[in-house]
Amino acid sequence: MTRRRGRTTSGIELAIPPRPEYLQLVRAVVGAAAGTGPTGRTPPDPGRVADLRLVVSEAVTNAMEAQAAVGAPERILVRCRPEEGRIVVEIVDRGPGFDPDAVPDLPPVTDHERLDHESGLGLSLMDRLADGAVVETGPDGTLVRLTVDHS
Amino acid sequence: MDTGVDGQVQFDVHRSSLAPAVPAGVVLRALGDLDMAGAPRLRSAVVTEVAAGARLLVLDLTGVDHLDSAGLGVVIGALRRLRAHDGDLRLVCPESRLRRVFEACDLDRILELHADVDAAVAEATVR
Repeated sequence: MTRRRGRTTSGIELAIPPRPEYLQLVRAVVGAAAGTGPTGRTPPDPGRVADLRLVVSEAVTNAMEAQAAVGAPERILVRCRPEEGRIVVEIVDRGPGFDPDAVPDLPPVTDHERLDHESGLGLSLMDRLADGAVVETGPDGTLVRLTVDHS
Repeated sequence: MDTGVDGQVQFDVHRSSLAPAVPAGVVLRALGDLDMAGAPRLRSAVVTEVAAGARLLVLDLTGVDHLDSAGLGVVIGALRRLRAHDGDLRLVCPESRLRRVFEACDLDRILELHADVDAAVAEATVR
């Protein structure tokens, strides 16, 4: 990734080992960063910060699983930047990529077979709780860009 | 609590029995972050209890600070395991911010969320 010229540099960037015990750290840092900005800026609602922490946790979990699947030891990048009225977080992994259209739908929650699926809720949570979720994926990795509005 | 790095996981499970009031009843109280790091510990505790004969399992999430899809997966698996043995799962989840996670996945439609362990057990023993 190259830094685009002319854009004001703000926000933070984390590079974390692809191990589950770092999830808590990511949530803490992203949650704190979400409320950090120029003096006088209206901070996001606490409920939206909770949503942000959750969707980022889901995306980083997916990134860790993707890298574990191919034994990729690289650190996962988490970039968090405040924008006017919203927070944007990008999660970049070096996993094998995936076909978003090939992700199977879960059975309806009231179906008996629904209980056979313990995983797969992460993407639903991101769709439901983020205001924007963009996935760019290829054989060299995946970038997920999550946007959460302040209110 | 641990720091969350250097291999330490911020999660613990405390067990208590509901016997003799509910002979095959067990409460598992989860404490900490129920994410991909903490979920395996809870799943393992659930599997152990069901194998040991628990048929009414109360999962108390009151002390859970963070719940995500990894934790929901354990809850779904626990429900499947209990039902396979004609047992039942009860959830204690008083915090609205955790309830919101269940609601976002529609899981509140198949799992009732109780305010405390007494309420969860009361409903269970009436059945």
